[in-house]
Amino acid sequence: MGDIGSTRSLPLPVPYQNRVLMLKNYLKIAFKVFLRRKFFTFISLFAISFTLVVLMVAAAFLDHTFAPHAPENKQDRTLGVFFMEMKSPNDDSTWNGTAGYGFLDRYVRTLPNVERVSIFSEPDLIHSYQNGEKIPAYIKRTDGAFWQILEFNFLEGVPFTETDDKNANAVAVINEATRKKFFGSDTAVGKTIEADGQNFRVVGVVANVPFLRQIPFSDIWVPISTIKNDSYKKELMGNFIGLIQARSAADFPAIQDEFKARLPQVEFPDPKEWSKLRGTPETYFNSIAREFFGGNKDHSKTYGGKLWAAIILAMLLFMLLPTVNLININVSRIMERASEIGVRKASGASSWALVGQFIVENVILTLFGGVIGFIISRFVLRVITESGWFPYAEFQMNYRIFLYGLFLAVLFGLLSGVYPAWKMSRLNPVQALKGASR
Amino acid sequence: MIELENIEKVYRTERIETVALSNVNLTVREGEFISIMGPSGSGKSTLLNVIGLLDVPSGGKVAINEKPITSYSDRNLARVRNEEIGFVFQVFHLINDLSVVDNVEIPLLYRKGMSGSERRKLALRALDRVGLHARVHHFPSQLSGGQQQRVAIARAISGNPRILLADEPTGNLDSQMGDEIMDVLWGLKESEKTTVVMVTHDPRQAEKTERIVRLFDGRQVS
Amino acid sequence: MFKHICKLVWNRKRINFLITLEIFISFLVVFSVIVLAVYYADNYRQPLGFDYQNVWNIRVEIVQKSGAAEKEERPQQIERYRRVLAAVREFGEVESAAGATYTPYMNGNWSNCNTQTTCYWGNAVTDDYKDVMRINIVRGRWFGKEDDGASYKPVIINRQLAREMYGDEDPIGKPLNPRDKMKPGDKEDDKYVEERIVGLLNDFRKNGEFAEMKGYAMFRNSLSLPDDRPPRALAVRVQPGTTATFEEKLLKRLQAEARDWSFTIKPLAQMREEMNQRSTTPMTAFSLVAGFLMVMVGLGLIGVLWQSVTQRMKEIGLRRAKGATRQRIYNQILGELLIITTCGALVGVLVVVQFPLLGVLGFATPKVYAYSIVISLALIYALTAICGLYPSWLATKVQPADALHYE
Repeated sequence: MGDIGSTRSLPLPVPYQNRVLMLKNYLKIAFKVFLRRKFFTFISLFAISFTLVVLMVAAAFLDHTFAPHAPENKQDRTLGVFFMEMKSPNDDSTWNGTAGYGFLDRYVRTLPNVERVSIFSEPDLIHSYQNGEKIPAYIKRTDGAFWQILEFNFLEGVPFTETDDKNANAVAVINEATRKKFFGSDTAVGKTIEADGQNFRVVGVVANVPFLRQIPFSDIWVPISTIKNDSYKKELMGNFIGLIQARSAADFPAIQDEFKARLPQVEFPDPKEWSKLRGTPETYFNSIAREFFGGNKDHSKTYGGKLWAAIILAMLLFMLLPTVNLININVSRIMERASEIGVRKASGASSWALVGQFIVENVILTLFGGVIGFIISRFVLRVITESGWFPYAEFQMNYRIFLYGLFLAVLFGLLSGVYPAWKMSRLNPVQALKGASR
Repeated sequence: MIELENIEKVYRTERIETVALSNVNLTVREGEFISIMGPSGSGKSTLLNVIGLLDVPSGGKVAINEKPITSYSDRNLARVRNEEIGFVFQVFHLINDLSVVDNVEIPLLYRKGMSGSERRKLALRALDRVGLHARVHHFPSQLSGGQQQRVAIARAISGNPRILLADEPTGNLDSQMGDEIMDVLWGLKESEKTTVVMVTHDPRQAEKTERIVRLFDGRQVS
Repeated sequence: MFKHICKLVWNRKRINFLITLEIFISFLVVFSVIVLAVYYADNYRQPLGFDYQNVWNIRVEIVQKSGAAEKEERPQQIERYRRVLAAVREFGEVESAAGATYTPYMNGNWSNCNTQTTCYWGNAVTDDYKDVMRINIVRGRWFGKEDDGASYKPVIINRQLAREMYGDEDPIGKPLNPRDKMKPGDKEDDKYVEERIVGLLNDFRKNGEFAEMKGYAMFRNSLSLPDDRPPRALAVRVQPGTTATFEEKLLKRLQAEARDWSFTIKPLAQMREEMNQRSTTPMTAFSLVAGFLMVMVGLGLIGVLWQSVTQRMKEIGLRRAKGATRQRIYNQILGELLIITTCGALVGVLVVVQFPLLGVLGFATPKVYAYSIVISLALIYALTAICGLYPSWLATKVQPADALHYE
């Protein structure tokens, strides 16, 4: 303890102390200015916090949809085969959509140098009936590897296995919400549920997975082999997704190359009708970007960077109006402080020192707005979470969004502070000091 | 100490050209106390601002301590203002949001390599010198006009400048307070050998100085 | 007076430029929300063309083979579909039932462009569809027995498509795919079959009240011709007050009839709500954000104007001293603001009218566009005028003596 006390009392080297004191002086002035004109402080804070709320809610949304969250813990080393394109020999017919089981089973599951491959269907909405009441639920058909690549949180029981899928056992994993709908507060393992006209024995119950996490999301998961008609086994295009778990991200290019090398070898059942297949195993974000920019035509490129750029551009565009607004308010207040600027200049402050002071002031104000915005964002996100617009969504503030918000607040402070600060520093001290009123 | 040679100052706006100073030559020795007099618009404040490096002359040379500073950058001008010159204004220009001692510390903030305790020590000494050591933590609005001007003087001298420039320091004060301020300025000249240049239109105060420079229409008349 | 104010605005152009910029951006924000709102409102006013109440959609998922195998299997599938339809009709709760490729509010569109210029959304329905959806034919007739074995394919279209194809001429009896207008490759096709327009609808807004106005064509699915495929959906009109209990009964019956098909039952009213929400939810979110932005801009403007009035105390006092009435001062401050607003909004309008030329916002018709510009202008002027009230009033409180005070 004594040690800590003595280190603390050790004075800072003089240049640092100087800066700290300067900052303290700036802070003092800043707070006084904020308090003196409460209306202006209010409108500035309103603008800043509102802007940050919109941007942070959008960020939370993106984070919720794309960032690595359980059960997608291995997101950094998984690739997916999401969208494929099939073409007729003379290119006049195109089929865009998800791949078929036949293609994935024959050409993707057998890829070398990968740890695991899972094939599963897109979630499908079905209705079950219990005591005259309709229960809507999504059903997803998966293989056994699905449960190994994705790390679900099992509340009860275990996942079904590769053997279950091979033997077409009528078993199901359900989520917490489905358990509640069917069995109330009872346990579910060993009981039977009816879905899409079939009866399934429940083997496991998992925590809810948000709707926006399209890879793991469903209410009910059953083996693929329980599909009523087995024609899916030969489909090249269908409603299946392939998930590839690599040893590490470094293996991605090799996997993608091998995938591309295999495409020309695909056997088409009727080569006169369909004869070409295109696609790329890529991350979920990149595949969404490809869809967004219509990148199905060119599989030599990835579109993730472009989507990032678009998101950043949209963010900056949105910040434009609040920035101009804040610049306006700040510029209109320059004359209010003419006397102070004059005195500081006469006392030997360089223009740079003044620019620094006013930017620091503005950044402090935006950080304040950031704190308020942060609190409001949490509230807004809770409202959206509880509204049920996005099933099982859990919009949260995490350290990523916190850092992002902090970054935005500082950026906003700089953007809206630089021009007024520059104008202030350029104020002619002679004019500013000329017997003007205070 | 201060040397002005052929100083010209012309203000140009879109249409009008105003000559504020023309052919002004002035030398002020170290420790001298002079006053600049002249009617309104005769250029006396402009001259003071040129000496104080707040205004750049259109022509001529300015030298402070034998160093020609006409071609200095903004940063270097700021450093010279900070180390060599102190300013006092007619309307005090105290920052109302800061306490007396914080106001006095302002020039020291822009001085490199000075610790907080040293800064506080210098500020208190300056306040002591103007006789205001009891009001350190007051705010400017709690003081009388004369006291405010004394704070302003303390601020001007807190960094121990060799030159003190005062633009009508007694203009907003009654004659008794004005006399007090003049006593403070004289005290500084006597004890610290500070060079004082004062602009005034009050002949009574001007007569107390060692030398009077008179301006008329931007020209030096004596 | 006006010229004088203009001069003042010009002389303070540096500050006014920033305000103009802000108003310009605000105009763009307001316009983009308004154009969407006006577009939706305009669509909403148009007739829907069907009655969705008490109609259920049953999505039928048939596992189909592809290519030649599908063709071979087709007659059996059609036969099965007929049995399914018959089974549905047996229930007392069912008033009528029909098959359709797409029922209203179903996701997905069948887009067809079989001439060089005209594109439309298509559908293929069975003869009972008219009763299920309560479709009103304004001219011509609905499908019927007379179409069996005809040399042409009967088609019923909406007014929009009729206008696009034939202008003001009567489209009845004319082809939807005139041979001379077809794409070069298809023109020489030996298998050309005329699609003859037999009936005219006011409209049929498959994608609901907010959807764009587009040509629509209904073809006949007789469930007997070699080209007919089993429709993807069933539209079933049930007795009012039928509950989910019947849904379960119906589903069990359907599953018994076709074991390897999947069925999903949903009332159209519910599908309508979900589809309309896709238009209204982003609209609400945009409006909310834009509304907040405007409040922010408004507060900012009040602040800037207030500050400017405080700084101009001297000028205003001088004017008062020279005999300007309070009203004149008030008009002057407000007038300055309106000139600045006009500058910003004018640039905004100039930019906005470029959009159709650049092909952005192609969905909006000139009428929607014009309305949106007028409404946006009104809103921007209202906003700035409201923000100007308090500072202008403040300016009238300046006393002539203040002019001297600030000298």
